[in-house]
Amino acid sequence: MPTITVDGEQYQVDEDQNLLSACLAQGINLPYFCWHPAMGSVGACRQCAVIEYKDAGDQRGRLVMSCMTPVKDGGIYSVNAENAQEFRGGIIEDLMTNHPHDCPVCEEGGECHLQDMTEMSGHTNRRYRGTKRTHHNQYLGPFINHEMNRCIACYRCTRFYRDYAGGDDLQPLGRNNQVYFGRQQDGILENGFSGNLVEVCPTGVFTDKTFSEHFVRKWDLQTAPSICEHCAVGCNTAPGAREAGNGQDVILRRVVNLYNRDINGYFLCDRGRFGYDYVNSDARIKSVLAARSEQMIGSTAEAGDKVHVEIPPETAVRQLAQQLDAVQKGQRRLLGIGSPRTSLENNFALRSLVTPENFYSGLNGREQELLQLIDSIQRDDRVHSPSTPEIEHADAVLILGEDIDNTAPRIALAVRQAARNRQKTHAQSLNIPLWQDASVRQLRGEHSPIIFAGTELTGLADIASATLFDTPEKVALFADAVSQLIRGADPASLSLTTAERELAVRTADILAAAERPLIISGCASRYGDIIRGAGSIAAALADKSAAPGHLYLACPEANSLGLVQLQEPGHGSLEQLASRLQSNADDKTPISLLIVENDLYRRADHETLETIFSRADEVILLDSLLNDTARRADLIYPAAATAESQGTFINSNGLAQRYYAVYEGLGYIQESWRWLADAARFCTQKSTALAAVASWQHSTDLSDALAGEFSQFAPLATLGPDEDYRIDGLKVARQSHRSSGRTAVRAKARVAEFPPHQDPDAPMTFSMEGIHNAGLTPLQANIWSPGWNSNQSILKFQQGIGGARKGANGGIQLQRQAQRIPAWTIPSHEATTAATSDNQLRMLPLYRLFGSDELSANAAAIASVIDKPFVRLNKEDAAELGLQEGDWLELEVDSARYRLEATLSATQPAGTVGVPCGIPQLASLMPELPGPAALKRVESQATSASGETL
Amino acid sequence: MIASQLRSMWLVFKHLFSRNATVQYPEQKPYLAPRYRGRIVLTRDPNGDERCVACNLCAVACPPDCISLQKTEDEDGRWRPEYFRINFSRCIMCGLCEDACPTYAIQLTPDFEMCEYDRQNMVYEKEDLLISGPGKYHEYSFYNVAGKAIAGKDKGDAENEAEPINVKSLNL
Repeated sequence: MPTITVDGEQYQVDEDQNLLSACLAQGINLPYFCWHPAMGSVGACRQCAVIEYKDAGDQRGRLVMSCMTPVKDGGIYSVNAENAQEFRGGIIEDLMTNHPHDCPVCEEGGECHLQDMTEMSGHTNRRYRGTKRTHHNQYLGPFINHEMNRCIACYRCTRFYRDYAGGDDLQPLGRNNQVYFGRQQDGILENGFSGNLVEVCPTGVFTDKTFSEHFVRKWDLQTAPSICEHCAVGCNTAPGAREAGNGQDVILRRVVNLYNRDINGYFLCDRGRFGYDYVNSDARIKSVLAARSEQMIGSTAEAGDKVHVEIPPETAVRQLAQQLDAVQKGQRRLLGIGSPRTSLENNFALRSLVTPENFYSGLNGREQELLQLIDSIQRDDRVHSPSTPEIEHADAVLILGEDIDNTAPRIALAVRQAARNRQKTHAQSLNIPLWQDASVRQLRGEHSPIIFAGTELTGLADIASATLFDTPEKVALFADAVSQLIRGADPASLSLTTAERELAVRTADILAAAERPLIISGCASRYGDIIRGAGSIAAALADKSAAPGHLYLACPEANSLGLVQLQEPGHGSLEQLASRLQSNADDKTPISLLIVENDLYRRADHETLETIFSRADEVILLDSLLNDTARRADLIYPAAATAESQGTFINSNGLAQRYYAVYEGLGYIQESWRWLADAARFCTQKSTALAAVASWQHSTDLSDALAGEFSQFAPLATLGPDEDYRIDGLKVARQSHRSSGRTAVRAKARVAEFPPHQDPDAPMTFSMEGIHNAGLTPLQANIWSPGWNSNQSILKFQQGIGGARKGANGGIQLQRQAQRIPAWTIPSHEATTAATSDNQLRMLPLYRLFGSDELSANAAAIASVIDKPFVRLNKEDAAELGLQEGDWLELEVDSARYRLEATLSATQPAGTVGVPCGIPQLASLMPELPGPAALKRVESQATSASGETL
Repeated sequence: MIASQLRSMWLVFKHLFSRNATVQYPEQKPYLAPRYRGRIVLTRDPNGDERCVACNLCAVACPPDCISLQKTEDEDGRWRPEYFRINFSRCIMCGLCEDACPTYAIQLTPDFEMCEYDRQNMVYEKEDLLISGPGKYHEYSFYNVAGKAIAGKDKGDAENEAEPINVKSLNL
């Protein structure tokens, strides 16, 4: 480790670093703009100048840009030397000559790196009296606001957008003093990581438009560490909330990245960043609703739909308690349906209340089988689920049937970095340090191999070295062939076409030769054999190299993997519930169906659901948003959203992570498990299980109970501190130390101040009292340090630049029992191809970043950019059928009809059509994917128009 | 000891003949300078528009945390407080909000006489605070100085601003 001297102090620093990051890692305040810890140095802004001395006798030294200077053992530097300070002051003075001086009306104000650096450089008095250069702004879509005059031309935005995230519609335009960062013309930014511009831009050029709608300054946001609920990657987020002050309750204002080296690092996808607004949506359930019993004279509700009225929560809890009493006496049966999008605690509470044999996962059989398959593969000790840095280091990637850009976006961003590893190795061989970003990126040559086989590849298409677009069956065959080839099979023995065989041989060679090969697959194609194939490739690689094969298996939802841990394999799907109800049709005991945070219409087909709903005498739903299931419910309880509650999610890697309540849900909203525990408390007689449910006071009581009941959840007992934890006798503060308006915000309703809410679940306060140092505890999400008001201050809380966060990250790996991947041979191709009748095509699911996720689709900004329902056809198929782009088609599936606009694609496998999975208008189509459908041409979108069968 | 007491008595006795310093407040009012730091008002710019841009700096500067407001944006692009509330029952009239205000919207006035039987009446909303004029700064208009474009004042129209660059020109 080299030792350097900075202003007379000696420091031990990392030799692979540049001087700037070495200084920052030592806590020295050195201003910078263009350097970014994840993107390296380009030396564009000249702000980080320091003096470098030749030796101890050198009194004068020379100015160097610290970000472009490698650390040298025995080097002597000065940050505080007068001429270095003067130089930096001059630079910032020049950068500020064109600044519009509109901080009061800038969303960045108060967390602006430019403000911080201006202060740090001591530029307090403006001397320039000339005119300011100005620019017009552009419309960049519903997420990002553009205010170009604030730009200091550090190039961070385009370096992130183009070089790091692979976008190509944001460019530096113009030249010299007039350089402009924007698109060629107004329009929505196309890249799915555009939201990071808000955090990457050191000024207010790119700001969060959704945040601006309900803007408050950073110091007024109440935050807590949270986990993104919009996919299964498990990115750490810091949602911010604040009271509305105008008579309404708290609003969730925004979500920003919360650094976790092993998962999201510095970046979030746009679904995670802008999806939070569903919490504030009009569809939010805020009070207890009960179905009206009286007959309506006229109503637009469909058959079976119920019309609801608000009832007092106590009445509702008593109603549930009465039913529980009846269950104890054997006069009623209670069935529970859990959910993959709510916490382990909520699912466990339901499972305990209804007893394990009456607990159903709320997944359809296919989905549950896939998840259990993933779980069983991950249990094999030859398989390792890689963290994001491990993915970024892979030197060969094979993606099987998973469009990760849309199903696990943050992983796709990591794969994009992995594509540069060949370039990085080349750079290292030329002794170019990796932080020399521009120099490394100049090196020509191919990307590291990224091979894709599946239905659709969106964002990664530009870096994929080989692609195979085919049906899931063919992809599974391909995966099986690759694994056999790695194990040394003869290529001639494989039943593949020549082209496929060549690709399989090439893939097997690449993977076998790679030092850090990575396989990615998941549930997206909804086809088990692909996942099995991915597992056997990873196992084959492991057997070959004697180190675990890296295999990332993407699950669909935030807690999918956690939910299946609660289930016996092969038990508890919605179809099994329906068949159980069907077979017990003679049993006249009334049935109560308790559904926790699940929209069943997205899970099971129409027939299954009708069986379930028609047999259930009382349907009780606990959920956060009104959805199709809510229309069938007799009783609806308002459930807390992720940002309003505490709980645990298991991500695709099998990592248990805890999220904390950012604010108290408004109205009668509370965690689902609290509603269940309340009802259990009102019961007159309590069985042991019921007494346990009734005794739960804190969220940690449930996680402790989970740890006791399931061996794989044993680590939950040590996951994060419990509610009695204190630092120096204090809890952790959710509000910043300079939170404002305490004595005014509620004064309109009542001038006397209310005491803050008490948090029963976490050792945190809903006020500014308590610990504020984010380096002391992982519980604090307000990342701030004196002089560092922007999110750049995270470097004060890292163990070295880009290292793990001080105070430890919250996640713990599940302790699953190791077991071997079950033996499996791929069924022959003929057996797996579903027989289809003449005018039937096979639908395959296509995923979209915006729309495929249930909750985020309710956020206003995201809802405005969701694709219109479409059906994607193979170009040749379309030509044969005489169809053109933009034709209206009617898709008939299981007696339901959908009108969709045709789009043509060269890569859609022949004989199949691609249908967007989960977008709001087609949500009920989800359970049918993949599956057969009949297609008909119609004249227009209007449903009355007649059609012609194709 | 005795001398000290005699001296005190003499001093008190002497005051019998000096002029009375007591003012008969409230019948008789003392002179307060126009810049006396009493309660705040919200002023308007020379066009009559609200000066407050809801930047929140007054709220964060306020030692007793008695100011609260919410930003909203008008169709013309101006930021404006959706509500602006000050709880005068907590206000210490320190004037830090006036110092912090970047737009001269908040100005302190010589009015300090706020007496209420009900403390709730000490909570003032924007409507109670807005006056119809520009206060002490007659000419100042924030948007003429700051570069943000609003309706009627495009990029390049503010003070010391050059014509906007056309990026698609030759850029010479």
